[in-house]
Amino acid sequence: MSENSNNQVNLVIEGKSITAPNNLSVIQALWHAGYPRVKSVGCLEGVCGSCRIMVRRPGEAKVTMELGCQTLIEEGIQVIFLVYPTPTHHHYQLSEIKNSWDVQGEFHHIFPEASHCRSCHGCTTACPKGIDVERGVALASEGKFREAGKLFVECIMCNLCMTGCPEEIAPNHVGLFARRVTAYFHTRPSNLINRLEEMRQGNLKVQI
Amino acid sequence: MSGGIPYSEALKNYRIQQERELPDDDIDVNDLLSQYHPDHHPDTTVALQVGPNRGEQCHRQLAAVLQADARIDEADLAGTPLIETDVLVVGGGGAGCAAALEASNDGARVILATKLRLGDSNTVMAEGGIQASIDRGDTPQMHYDDSIKAGHFCAKKELVAEMVMDGPDVIRWLIKQGMQFDLDEFGDLLTRRAGGTSANRVCYYRDYTGLEMMRVLREAVMNSKIDIWDYSPTVELMVNESGHCAGAVLSDLRNCRYVQVKARAVILATGGIGRMHLNGFPTSNHFGATGDGLVLAYRLGAKLRDLDSFQYHPTGLAYPQHLAGTLITEGVRSSGTWLLNGHGERFIDELKPRDIVAAAILRECAEGRGVKVDDNTTGVWLDTPGLELRNPGILEKRFPKLLHLGSKASIDPAKSPMLIYPTLHYQNGGVDIDANGLTTVPGLYCAGEVSGGIHGKNRIMGNALLEIISFGRRAGIDAAALRHGRDHKKISIEHLSRIRRELAINNMPMDTRGPMLFPDCAKFDDDVDYDGLRKARNK
Repeated sequence: MSENSNNQVNLVIEGKSITAPNNLSVIQALWHAGYPRVKSVGCLEGVCGSCRIMVRRPGEAKVTMELGCQTLIEEGIQVIFLVYPTPTHHHYQLSEIKNSWDVQGEFHHIFPEASHCRSCHGCTTACPKGIDVERGVALASEGKFREAGKLFVECIMCNLCMTGCPEEIAPNHVGLFARRVTAYFHTRPSNLINRLEEMRQGNLKVQI
Repeated sequence: MSGGIPYSEALKNYRIQQERELPDDDIDVNDLLSQYHPDHHPDTTVALQVGPNRGEQCHRQLAAVLQADARIDEADLAGTPLIETDVLVVGGGGAGCAAALEASNDGARVILATKLRLGDSNTVMAEGGIQASIDRGDTPQMHYDDSIKAGHFCAKKELVAEMVMDGPDVIRWLIKQGMQFDLDEFGDLLTRRAGGTSANRVCYYRDYTGLEMMRVLREAVMNSKIDIWDYSPTVELMVNESGHCAGAVLSDLRNCRYVQVKARAVILATGGIGRMHLNGFPTSNHFGATGDGLVLAYRLGAKLRDLDSFQYHPTGLAYPQHLAGTLITEGVRSSGTWLLNGHGERFIDELKPRDIVAAAILRECAEGRGVKVDDNTTGVWLDTPGLELRNPGILEKRFPKLLHLGSKASIDPAKSPMLIYPTLHYQNGGVDIDANGLTTVPGLYCAGEVSGGIHGKNRIMGNALLEIISFGRRAGIDAAALRHGRDHKKISIEHLSRIRRELAINNMPMDTRGPMLFPDCAKFDDDVDYDGLRKARNK
């Protein structure tokens, strides 16, 4: 079961030709080959969204968007890093939405492009987590925020769907908005509220 | 590590079973820890020779960076831009965001400087959940007692008391930021039990608690007035004429230059040390967890504590090798998953505190009952198929991240057990703080893993996420108030001449420089992209 050092593959990362064992991720392969790499490295577990890469496999015209810590290297692939994500131009404060009746109106005010979706699947294709991003945008546009938010459980905010959207919708921020308003307006756990009230009355103290 | 049962043979021995007896468990905890916990390995610690903790025991590798030379000299600051703010927050994880949000909310001008990008942190990787005593059968007192006991009675009691009393309000604050939690059919918060505790107290969102927390906090910070500086590691703190902390020198990696930030208060929220790979262990930590804050604070004269105590999380993935060290949440054990040795037998109550469970796993491996892959890789089984058998569907519903890890490892956790081995997870100690996060140096605050005292010599699951929000908020509020005080007359890095003198007097090697900033594998100090940040070093 030990590591088989004969399973070497050749690939190109950022224009550098590299040979490395096939059980390494793109980032591990880059380090293995002795190249420095600081930017675009993060959790190395696929949850922080830092190591965004574009990958082209031999014989394919298609370029895919992936994560450098999650993609295992293959013979002949070409990889480049997308270092700086573009910040979204959408801005909002949850506290400025006065009550839950206003959420839909505010949503279209904050994200006016969301209803312009042309169903090109650019966002869904770009998502390295396999989220049905386009459907999430459609649900949010209809005001179904709870359902939209559920689709974005695994979203790591890598912003690749923003890159893939010709309408500049910022679908991941739409998804996060949907999740945040759901918690902000609708999460009211009675066990928590009861405990907060007990504490407000000074009934629970800690003795050191 | 020559002993052990070969992987394929151990896999053949393994059966999925409804029930398994826990063997008689009359172990002496102190014996187990002193024989098998890595903190107690011979020659693990040395006495510090310079600085505020001189004479105290400290992990050998950490001591080397605490007593290293600085990265910069006065000459590096010539002609560098000087920016002024009220509060400088160093670190873009949960503690840094909570501190920055509260300081900004109180009206302070805030710069949040982070080594990588906002949100690149251990917070985003946290899985299990956050402790808050909200269940009817639970009280803050029980939370306090559990934390103190699991920390072997070494914690700073008043900090623990403040933190447990903050718990429920921290959950409310997070919900107000837009964070979701797993709820039952009545909308009540679901809770699960952490190892070494007396009640179900861990609130969670799947095994993505940290991811959910971090994306919400990041979005909140990005939609605030906080000025975010990414790719800007802090290389040195600055002092005023009275020796108070008065700002920091950052290296701007985009423009390859140093920048001085003058601030009324600095909050260090730089996290832990996993990427120093203490004792050669793999780590569950983020790429940026290189202990920078400890080094910066120590050089400025801040007292540290419990520098000999680190947490090795029992369940890091041991195989396949390219994923070694990856964390599997304690939530999996708290749901009733067993640990099995190579004979397929349980060997420890899986819900004992982490240090004890980790030591028990190391004992199995050392005494030849582990599962052996090769000379470098042994471990024990995490019996996830047994959990799934007793609770059909639980893996998919509660542990999507574990299933995802399984697919990367080509192991289906519902059908096959996973090989695990302790992974370096957390720095129990850190910078000594008071209830506002203030260190022993005026103007310098710490929040989160970089601070010490809350967890004593061992942390329970879920107290880290609670600590970062509880103390992040406290530090942010207290630091913001300092903007009404007197302005600094002069700011400098004069404290470095004192350090260098002390290092020279004690014949300490001057060839290493701290803080480490990036793990060795990233080769930051050889990267030609950053040559401009090395002009004083004659490289």
